[in-house]
Amino acid sequence: MRNERNFKHNNNKIDAVFNKLKEEKRKAFIPFISIGDPDIETSFDIAKTLAETGADIIELGFPFSDPMADGKVIQRSYERALKNKISMENAFNFIKRLKAFKDVPVVLFTYYNPVFVMGEKFAEGAEEAGVESVLVVDLPPEESGEFTKYIEDRNIYQIFLLAPTTDKDRMRLVLSYAKGFAYYVSVTGVTGARKNLPETVKSNVTEIKKITDLPIGVGFGISSKEQAKDIAKYSDAVIIGSRIIQFIEDNINDKELILKKIAEFSKDIRSVL
Amino acid sequence: MKLPDDNGHFGEYGGRYISETLMPAVIELEKFYKKIRNDKEFIKDFKYYLKNYVGRPSPLYFAERLSKIYNAEIYLKREDLNHTGAHKINNTIGQALLALRMGKKRIIAETGAGQHGVATATVCALFDLDCEVFMGKKDVERQKQNVFRMELLGAKVNSVEAGSQTLKDAMNEAIRDWITNIQTTYYMIGTVAGPHPYPLIVRDFQSVIGKEVLKQLKKLPDILIACVGGGSNAIGLFYPFLKYDGIKIYAVEAGGYGIETGMHAASITGGKPGVLHGNKTYLLQDEFGRIKDAHSIAAGLDYPGIGPEHSYFADEKRIIFDSVTDEEAVKAFQELCKLEGIIPALESSHAIAYLEKIKQEIKGKTVVINLSGRGDKDMHTISEYLSAAQPGKVKSGAEAGHN
Repeated sequence: MRNERNFKHNNNKIDAVFNKLKEEKRKAFIPFISIGDPDIETSFDIAKTLAETGADIIELGFPFSDPMADGKVIQRSYERALKNKISMENAFNFIKRLKAFKDVPVVLFTYYNPVFVMGEKFAEGAEEAGVESVLVVDLPPEESGEFTKYIEDRNIYQIFLLAPTTDKDRMRLVLSYAKGFAYYVSVTGVTGARKNLPETVKSNVTEIKKITDLPIGVGFGISSKEQAKDIAKYSDAVIIGSRIIQFIEDNINDKELILKKIAEFSKDIRSVL
Repeated sequence: MKLPDDNGHFGEYGGRYISETLMPAVIELEKFYKKIRNDKEFIKDFKYYLKNYVGRPSPLYFAERLSKIYNAEIYLKREDLNHTGAHKINNTIGQALLALRMGKKRIIAETGAGQHGVATATVCALFDLDCEVFMGKKDVERQKQNVFRMELLGAKVNSVEAGSQTLKDAMNEAIRDWITNIQTTYYMIGTVAGPHPYPLIVRDFQSVIGKEVLKQLKKLPDILIACVGGGSNAIGLFYPFLKYDGIKIYAVEAGGYGIETGMHAASITGGKPGVLHGNKTYLLQDEFGRIKDAHSIAAGLDYPGIGPEHSYFADEKRIIFDSVTDEEAVKAFQELCKLEGIIPALESSHAIAYLEKIKQEIKGKTVVINLSGRGDKDMHTISEYLSAAQPGKVKSGAEAGHN
């Protein structure tokens, strides 16, 4: 089996975060924002705010023209960011600056095409910027050969998704490629805040935990403190994106208010994990 | 070499680049389709509806006057005479029968000009299936008549306001709906693109075009020509002929205002390999891998990608890709109207226009052109284009088109 690869590198900071949290009996808070929304400096200040108020890992979305797996909130976030012509180079610089501010591990979230066109240069740039992990949403393990080859020896983890539609055999297959943590998609659908999450989340996460020792993060749809608290009971990380981005959209002309709202929300979530 | 291979690859192209939620569904679809592909009952049903409902075989018409002008033997494969007016119905009949056998009751589809949307709405009415079509807001405005047709047929048309509000965004939205309703819904893709097994499924259903030509012509042609956007009518004609090395095959992309202007829809002539909508293929994109908007006067070619099998055969040089501009296509459109009494779709007019480009080469040769659709849907576009080109002369026609 390929599972041995999970243990090959033990100096990735993603592992260190989860090990530390385990000792402290806490769960990870992983907020998601788009790089460049509403503009590069404000998004940088948001990332700093999140790092200061309790994010254990930060997931940073690279804006793409055709975000097929995303709901309306993140679509609009990408559209705002795209107006600022964010290149992958900008994203790498963003991450470098963030790491100079505070050493919080990142998941770089992207669609495959912007990565594919760069070839090995993507992996070189990501390594230089200190990127710990990459989640390519439209790159399943079956197609990730070339990409994996580029990042594997640079100690960058590829984060894979598991969905409510993934059956047990396929869970085993995907998990044999997974490193750092496995990302469980809580709903059959695109990203976006939901009032209610399906009951299958708990049973599926429990099922996944029988197959792997990797930490399990749960994302898509989580929007409230109550949901976060509930999910943290049986998973290892709570991932929240659209709800945070909604604060940007609701207060688009008031940067200070955006930062204040996000700081409050972040602390609130952190307090229950 | 088997194309596609077991993982849906055409050389380096094709494959399955989709989010995990969809993977189990396309794997299920592939397994199901593999079983049914050679099922006698399934094939019998497919042929029954093609004959009795679509009106196949479509004629292979010897274009007398066109042949005389080009000093060649030119045949038109009359897909324009199919029910709903284009080749698109071949595919939707096949996929509807497939969806029925899978027990799916809800069908979704994307559409640009509305031809695939109409063909989908049609088969959904025929087989009593729920139908929702996604269409970019700009296309909804440009193609009001087709929107109305779909609604008459009982489909719900969703106007997509995201992104560039055209075909690619309609496809994004259809994929999002599919991710959300995967248990109940069958996604009826309209061209030879998308994740495996779609390029294979659509090729299978469309290759009835080329198979008929093989029978009708009673000899092998020297040259085949088809227009190509996503590439389903082209693969449909070409596929049964690919094994005959001596036949020259031309795929004509939409050159828009000209390749050099950047305002075109020629993914192979003016794009480079990338990944979008579930497959690796040639795409129109900027240096950062963001997808560019396509432009063509023919809404059915107005897509920044192309089916992966075309990308493969382009690299192999088995299919020769070239482009003609909006202007050249309109000229060919007018020519065919007057010479043969046939009003072609603007998409198909690109293939007709290519005759002029290779007029030396075709002398004395047998040429088959896929006349993939009829031009009724394009009256408004054509009258607007012509009135802009010749102000005053056909203006009343343009105004009539608005009504």
